Amino acid sequence: MRKLFIVLAFIFAVLGIAFAILPMGTIGVLPIGLSLIFGILAFVKSPEGQKNIPKWLIIIAALILVVIVGRSFVPDEVQKDTEFEQKKVESKQEDLKDLEELEGLE
Amino acid sequence: MRKIFFILTVTLAFNGLAQTNKSVKSGEKFVYAASYNMSGLMTQLAQVTMETETVKTSKNTLLHLSCQASTFSKWDSFFKIRDLYEAYVNPQTLKPSLYKRDIVEGSYTKKEKYIFKNDGRTIESTLTKKNMQPVKKTFNVGGSTQDAISTLYQLRNIDFNKFKAGQIKTFTVIFDEKEMIVSAKYMGKETVAAGNLGRKQCYKISIAAKTQALKGTDKNIIWLTADNARVPALIKFSIPVGTGQLTLTNASGI
Repeated sequence: MRKLFIVLAFIFAVLGIAFAILPMGTIGVLPIGLSLIFGILAFVKSPEGQKNIPKWLIIIAALILVVIVGRSFVPDEVQKDTEFEQKKVESKQEDLKDLEELEGLE
Repeated sequence: MRKIFFILTVTLAFNGLAQTNKSVKSGEKFVYAASYNMSGLMTQLAQVTMETETVKTSKNTLLHLSCQASTFSKWDSFFKIRDLYEAYVNPQTLKPSLYKRDIVEGSYTKKEKYIFKNDGRTIESTLTKKNMQPVKKTFNVGGSTQDAISTLYQLRNIDFNKFKAGQIKTFTVIFDEKEMIVSAKYMGKETVAAGNLGRKQCYKISIAAKTQALKGTDKNIIWLTADNARVPALIKFSIPVGTGQLTLTNASGI
């Protein structure tokens, strides 16, 4: 059972790292929460002298959790896109030309 | 994002051409956070901005309506979206003269332009896709058919105070060169968060259409503030690939 908990804690920790790298927001809390739970269970089930692996899994999961929670406080922003803004200006000039042509037909 | 926009526009489209514009003003700016439901958690993907401004040509004064979607910077490296929907309309009737749609979603691009001729009964469309020559078409539509963006704004002129709960209004919208009948059901009033406007009492409207883009019954809903401005405060959508919502974060110029 101890080994199973360690494997599960490891798998969910890897998933948590992936979610922390990707812009998945607070969804990363799910795998990392599970990793923490399985890490703690493995720690409890481990006999003295064999608690090192679960201890490190818990530490890693806790650190990732801090990163994910910390990132959730960073406000979402749209990057200033000069290319897009320029495209909008050019598009508007083209629109005015189309509208003038349309009015010429009326 | 295309589906989200379709729902947004279909949600707001209707055929009240005879209505005089009282709610939509030049200089409005509404900013929304677009979220998608991932494993039960709403994840913010993009910012949607709706703006209005006055545009003058040599003969007329028009209202320029625009709707822009941009992914938040954290998503840009993975899937960049820069969608722009525009319409030039008569400021009194919101009847369109020109509609444009410019989609950039990852590697997918598409441009669409409708020029409304013959008092809106004829549309001259130009469709441009990546690595393809522009395709031009001319087709006739019903006199009350409007493009998605102008009808989006037109909805705000409906006085839902005169509606009874369950009352349905049908309307016509043209999207992807197809006319579509859509129904809007007034469901009553609800109070929802409306960004910087605080919590506002809103008209709750359920949208339905015979299209695969919309899923479920009463799952595509828009809340319009129950005041003269009728600002879209919240839009919830359900599409085949999931659910999401647009939440108003900031409204100015109303």
